[in-house]
Amino acid sequence: MESPSQSPGKLVVAHPDRRAQRALHRLVGATSCPVQIVADAAALRDAVDADTIAIVDATLAQAAPGLCDLAARAWIAVPGEGTAPADAPAVDALLAAGWWHVVAHAMPILGEELLATIQKLRRDDVFGLEKYVAWGAEVRSYTLGDAREREDAVATMARDVVGVGLPDRIASLVSVIADELIANALYVAPLDEHKQRYRAGEGRELGRELRGRDVVTVRWATDARYLAIEVRDRWGTLEPRGVAARLVAGKASAASGEAGMGMALAYACCNQFVVDLEPEVMTEVIALLDVRHKPTELGRSASFHTFVAAPAAPSAEES
Amino acid sequence: MTGFRTGRLDVRVSGARATLVGRIDDVAQLAGIATLLPAGDVVLDLAGVSFINSIGMREWVRLIRVLRDRGTVTLAAVSDVLIVQLNMIAEFRGSVQIASFHAGYVCPACGREATLLIDAVGHAAALRAMVAPRLPCPECGAAMDLADFPERYFGIFQP
Repeated sequence: MESPSQSPGKLVVAHPDRRAQRALHRLVGATSCPVQIVADAAALRDAVDADTIAIVDATLAQAAPGLCDLAARAWIAVPGEGTAPADAPAVDALLAAGWWHVVAHAMPILGEELLATIQKLRRDDVFGLEKYVAWGAEVRSYTLGDAREREDAVATMARDVVGVGLPDRIASLVSVIADELIANALYVAPLDEHKQRYRAGEGRELGRELRGRDVVTVRWATDARYLAIEVRDRWGTLEPRGVAARLVAGKASAASGEAGMGMALAYACCNQFVVDLEPEVMTEVIALLDVRHKPTELGRSASFHTFVAAPAAPSAEES
Repeated sequence: MTGFRTGRLDVRVSGARATLVGRIDDVAQLAGIATLLPAGDVVLDLAGVSFINSIGMREWVRLIRVLRDRGTVTLAAVSDVLIVQLNMIAEFRGSVQIASFHAGYVCPACGREATLLIDAVGHAAALRAMVAPRLPCPECGAAMDLADFPERYFGIFQP
């Protein structure tokens, strides 16, 4: 019997509480990857190597924010204690410190989110909203043929979201998220040979045919647990290092009504924000809204993840 | 009554009251509202604002700064989408008057979700205390719960 292609390596769970260690062990054990459990930062430093995915208690991570600079496959911060979600200042602090993966929500969301995150990393298979919704969920797709179709695409999505029985509140959030992410793909992603974002100042009322690298695709699906919105551009120019910190900085911009708040606004409107990148090929942003729980049962901040795909290996003909 | 259309936003001005209906987005130019309104205290009726994005919010902030320099700005029937974003902007705290606003509620009895109008003057003490006014479900009459964290709607009422 074959198992999916996965690279070697191990998972290290770092949590001071024995009960939490057991719960996390069971969760990540579902990946069939070797799991090592440690209780403190010193033991964690000793256990981690370049092939390790480290799952770290958020309190421990906050006490040693530089951990994520150590060589490892990935560093994932998870809520600190029991069933409580991570508090907003803790999430902001970890994002500002450069953590690429911060889970904000407690169980059962933690379990679903952690498993998807680890498997995306282990399988180096990062793209697609299908990883976040149940298999039976129908995926709807829109490809923009012109920059002026943004408003229509967003309005169609919002109407379809209400059509599947979700409340107006969710449709409003979908509208804001999709609008900001599509605008980012249309006007911020394109980069010229001088590394200038040459579309940033383009008039938003202007038409522009979208072909080749300018094509923007929007997809969404819901399985009554999550509603996932995915926006892809073909530029892959988002700088992964520091994108989390920029979201936190964007909140400050939002607080004063300044520029640079678009991505931060999309992040603020969702429950999980995922950036998938293949440099110079594609950027995909997935925003997940939890439609199962009341907002007050979730973390005040959204979870955040950045994934960078390894460049595709050249084909036999190319090599 | 006078007015204009900018992008997908209709603006009607009557005396010191302006009514906005539609989208405040990349193409909405709001400076004309300040031109049509008289100097002094003004009221903006915002029940019809159906969408605002980050660029629209920058335009909105510029408008409010201009109007605020000329008198008291009162926001009436602020739509759900707008009040949530106003709560993200620190400078609005205490700098504009909010007469009423819409907020998302959910009924624990029948599951109905609805956007209800809250009288911010009548419930001022509760809003300052971050307590959601209990409002009846339009479908079954049971007391509804606020559908989100109180600070997302009421932060703007904090001193």
